[in-house]
Amino acid sequence: MKNYLFLLLLVAVPLKAEIYNIGDLDLKAQHGKVVYLDFWASWCKPCRESFPWMNGLVKKYPAKDFTVITVNLDADSEAMHKFLDQIPANFDVYHDPSGQLAEQFQLEGMPTSYLISPTGEVVKRHIGFYTRDIERYEHEIEELL
Amino acid sequence: MQLKKKNIAGLLSVATCSLLSGQAQSADDWNVDSAILFYSETDRVDAVEPVISGKKDLGDDEILSMKLVFDALTGSSANGAVPSTMVQTFTTPSGGGGGEEGEDEGEGEGGGSYQVAPNTTPLDPTFKDARAAFSMNWDKPVERDRRRNLGFNFSIEHDFTSLGVNGLWQYDSNQKNTSWTWGTNIELDSINPIGGAPEPLTTMAAMSKGSDTETRTVLDLLFGVTQVIDRSSLLQLNFSLSQADGYMTDPYKIVSVVDSVSGEPIRYLYENRPDNRYRQSVFAKYKKMFAGKDIFTASYRYMTDDWGVDSNTFDLTYRFRLGASYYLQPHLRYYQQSAADFYRYFLVDGEAVPGEVSADYRLGEMDATTTGIKFGREIDAQHSWSIRLERYLQTGESSPSEAFGQLTQQDLYPDLEATIVQFNYSFVF
Amino acid sequence: MKTAIRWLLIAGLLAASGCSSLGVKPWERDLLAREDMLMNSDALDLAYDEHIYFSKEASSGGQGFAGGGCGCN
Repeated sequence: MKNYLFLLLLVAVPLKAEIYNIGDLDLKAQHGKVVYLDFWASWCKPCRESFPWMNGLVKKYPAKDFTVITVNLDADSEAMHKFLDQIPANFDVYHDPSGQLAEQFQLEGMPTSYLISPTGEVVKRHIGFYTRDIERYEHEIEELL
Repeated sequence: MQLKKKNIAGLLSVATCSLLSGQAQSADDWNVDSAILFYSETDRVDAVEPVISGKKDLGDDEILSMKLVFDALTGSSANGAVPSTMVQTFTTPSGGGGGEEGEDEGEGEGGGSYQVAPNTTPLDPTFKDARAAFSMNWDKPVERDRRRNLGFNFSIEHDFTSLGVNGLWQYDSNQKNTSWTWGTNIELDSINPIGGAPEPLTTMAAMSKGSDTETRTVLDLLFGVTQVIDRSSLLQLNFSLSQADGYMTDPYKIVSVVDSVSGEPIRYLYENRPDNRYRQSVFAKYKKMFAGKDIFTASYRYMTDDWGVDSNTFDLTYRFRLGASYYLQPHLRYYQQSAADFYRYFLVDGEAVPGEVSADYRLGEMDATTTGIKFGREIDAQHSWSIRLERYLQTGESSPSEAFGQLTQQDLYPDLEATIVQFNYSFVF
Repeated sequence: MKTAIRWLLIAGLLAASGCSSLGVKPWERDLLAREDMLMNSDALDLAYDEHIYFSKEASSGGQGFAGGGCGCN
């Protein structure tokens, strides 16, 4: 049963995660698009639940108007790879092992997501991921599009 | 025999967050922990206790957990009497009305008597019990910084029934580095001793029965703080209060009344304990990870109550991680308690009988050491197994200063030694 | 002896409140999120022990409860 679900996940969502160094992240380059910026880690259980939903967002909204960028805060990159092997990501992952970007953004909880407008303004911040709030998250994105 | 009581702390086994690195899990899955424990005392009680416990994530960190415990005990247990140079005869609790006399050796629960050889600790060989217990807890986050856990528990054995409800509230501060917890547990117990509760302080021979059913209520309050110290260590401090009211006596335990010259037992009186008990305890637990893999855990508890019992408990474990998934964990526990005010090794004929008295070794001055080792494997975060072996040794004052006559040549607080073997297996259902 | 408890409690609370400077950033909880680093890890063992010691000794309870963890959501 669990194997079936896992396979389904693999088939339904083609593995397309590109892993970059946090130093390579240039948010300004994303101007013109709505950006969903998510901070996650392999040991964070709600992050596990947010991934399938974020993959869904990538499919739902046109790539020219919307993008998902995630920052992984695992100190151990092996843990990050292990997580991505089990839960494929259809979006870019920037590895930030020393938490420099997290520190810059002054993260207060895990996971944290920021909704950034096409002009580069942080419109919304969500601390934590709740499956019951999915409709609200999508509504906020759609308002910007 | 009353074998009961899981207080709030024991019931709550909620993981507020757990590392899941196994296969994708569907919302219908239960994380199941199953275990079986074998307990064996030298020449006394043997017990088998299988347990099954399950946890289900209802979404967004709302967790439902349930636990089922079975317990079967056989063997013999000290009845509180002192040894003698002569053969001693004790009566066993008789079943139902009418009394079933004439059954020797006290096999099973029917009435009758049993004999104890000279110079041996009197043990009641009819000690047999079976227990079933069930508990359920519902744990839910309320706002980002608060959690609430509500639960109930129920247990039944042939002479004892218990029903309890509990609640725990948690508040996090300092970006969840500090957690404040307060909880309460309310329990109602019904004691139905075989043959009825004996009239306290009456002789065993008289078989004066009191009521068939006795009750007791217990209220526990707990307050605690958990503090993250650094990336690899944390500390928990808690304070708890417990007020119990009602029938606290053990209906099967007696106290020997000995001759004032020879020290030989003349008669036996049923014990009597106060009808309330107020306890306070402070507890501290520290956990630290070394080299990113080994884990050191140390805890200390100090308990004091209005029965005059003061106790200190020290517990240490060190988990050595072997390779990616195996571990070896030695364990050491040291426990020490003072005697209850009304504890007596024996009473002397001719002296006034105190209003409250018990010779139950569990209320005496003693210390106990547990040494153990656990070996296990974490296959992934949802599947694991382990084996645990422990040895428990309890010692007390075998020759107290109050002994005289034949009592000076007897062991008035024999050592209690027990071996524990436990198997655990966790899986997803 | 009762006063000793009171002092231990006060000391504990002071330590806890003075410890507001202690702790880690929310993204530094990788080790604390591990199952074996939870305060009530090996919960079945703790429950078995509690039952055995309650049956053989005069003390019971007052022990710990859940704590630590990843601090997510």
